[in-house]
Amino acid sequence: MLYASKLSLIVMAPKPQRIRHLVGATCEGAMRKARTMSTETETETETSSMKDAFSKYADYLNNINDKRERVVKASRDITMNSKKVIFQVHRMSKQNKEEVLDKAVKVLAAVNDQYLSRLVKELQGTDFWKLRRAYSPGVQEYVEAATLCNFCKTGLLLTLDEINATLLPLSDPSVEPLQINILDYILGLADLTGELMRLAIGRISEGELDFAEKICSFVREIYRNLTLIAPEMDDSSDMKQKMETMLQSVMKIENACFSVHVRGSEYIPLLGSADTSYPLLGMPDID
Amino acid sequence: MAFLNPSSPTSEKLEKQFVEFRHHLEESGNLRERIQAVATEIDSVTRIIYASLLLVHQCLPVSEVIEKAKAQIGVLKEHYSRLSEIVRECPGQYYRYHGDWKSETQTVVSLLAFMHWLETGTLVLHSEVEEKLGLIPTELGLDVDDYLVGICFMSNELPRYVVNQVTAGDYDCPRKVLKFLTDLHAAFRMLNLRNDFLRKKFDGMKYDLRKVEEVFYDVKIRGLAANGDSVGEKQAQGQS
Repeated sequence: MLYASKLSLIVMAPKPQRIRHLVGATCEGAMRKARTMSTETETETETSSMKDAFSKYADYLNNINDKRERVVKASRDITMNSKKVIFQVHRMSKQNKEEVLDKAVKVLAAVNDQYLSRLVKELQGTDFWKLRRAYSPGVQEYVEAATLCNFCKTGLLLTLDEINATLLPLSDPSVEPLQINILDYILGLADLTGELMRLAIGRISEGELDFAEKICSFVREIYRNLTLIAPEMDDSSDMKQKMETMLQSVMKIENACFSVHVRGSEYIPLLGSADTSYPLLGMPDID
Repeated sequence: MAFLNPSSPTSEKLEKQFVEFRHHLEESGNLRERIQAVATEIDSVTRIIYASLLLVHQCLPVSEVIEKAKAQIGVLKEHYSRLSEIVRECPGQYYRYHGDWKSETQTVVSLLAFMHWLETGTLVLHSEVEEKLGLIPTELGLDVDDYLVGICFMSNELPRYVVNQVTAGDYDCPRKVLKFLTDLHAAFRMLNLRNDFLRKKFDGMKYDLRKVEEVFYDVKIRGLAANGDSVGEKQAQGQS
């Protein structure tokens, strides 16, 4: 390189700077001129090859960003409509249980067909993990809605395999189907306990103690099992927070069950009767 | 409470699923640890390369500096092939673990790009970096974002290089670097970036550009650069 020879000159002649420079310049002047002439044309081609390369990167970034936007939109739609399912479940009361739940199941099926299918069509292969942040909130909400629905209907936990089985028909058989990953499923379950807490409180106020107790032990089981799993999660800080909220929910249900149990004798005539004039009597403060 | 006591069949089914989850998560945890171990090794190699490259600021001959740094590329290649082997165990989950080798890879790109520039005066391309590291795009490709961030890191190195080269008497250096950096900056402006890390790094590039412009100006105003190089001069003037 040019620098090399010039630098060695500098090293060898540790005298005044200006001279050093001139020495370097005079002996290299002619050579450099020739060299720069050729490099100018080279840099022209270099500039355009840089531009070519960057237009490829630009295409790549545009594609992935557009796709990400579409996935975010689909995720938001899934969230919105899954919330509708959850609200529908909360409309449940002793008299209209079947009817309300049937409607919730229908809305859930619509989320599947209309919104989840859009997500499924958008995502392929490595996108599942690359764009996970973009669709994770929607999927978590969907897991929450689906498991809540299923619990109210059957009293059982809807497993990940069962949910994923319902997604299979949505995708083109030629491509690898979108499957909800363990992490989003677990995060969805963590949110489920919050909804179950609300449900349990509602059931108690209507006198359905059995149902409330069933919810209580179900939520306990989930919490207990998740304590083992939480530290192993990919992003455990998020989960840690959810675990704390979950414990709060579990305790709220337990306290509600406790109040009814301890003071139950006082309310027995009221509970189970058609008289709903004091539905929240004897309940601990719950938001 | 009679429902769902720990021995009931419903509870068993629930528990079975969670046991499976734990297995899965433990496995992915192990995998992650192995990836992180390789990433740590990559990191220590990049330190060695960086330390040897830093000698260009002390005005050692470029060829000598590069040669020393180049000796380490083989080691890097080995590490990346190990990484690729590990990632192959979990097909399709490249981006699940990507975060564990991302920043190391960005540094690797920046060093390779700097070396490449010192040698040729040109920008190393995405595919060229993959080639240098022996990466196979279908197995463990180089993420385009990582490549671009790495290039931004490299640009951070240039102002210091220019300053030291001028101090050492190479008055033509600012013109060349300025031309390169101006082109690079123009190329980056073709990208539609999101508000992410890359955007931030790219925003920082203009400070490198300004610093190099200042050095170029300082040299030019004192007539130091005017040594029979008018062709290049005019070009650079047009650019700045």
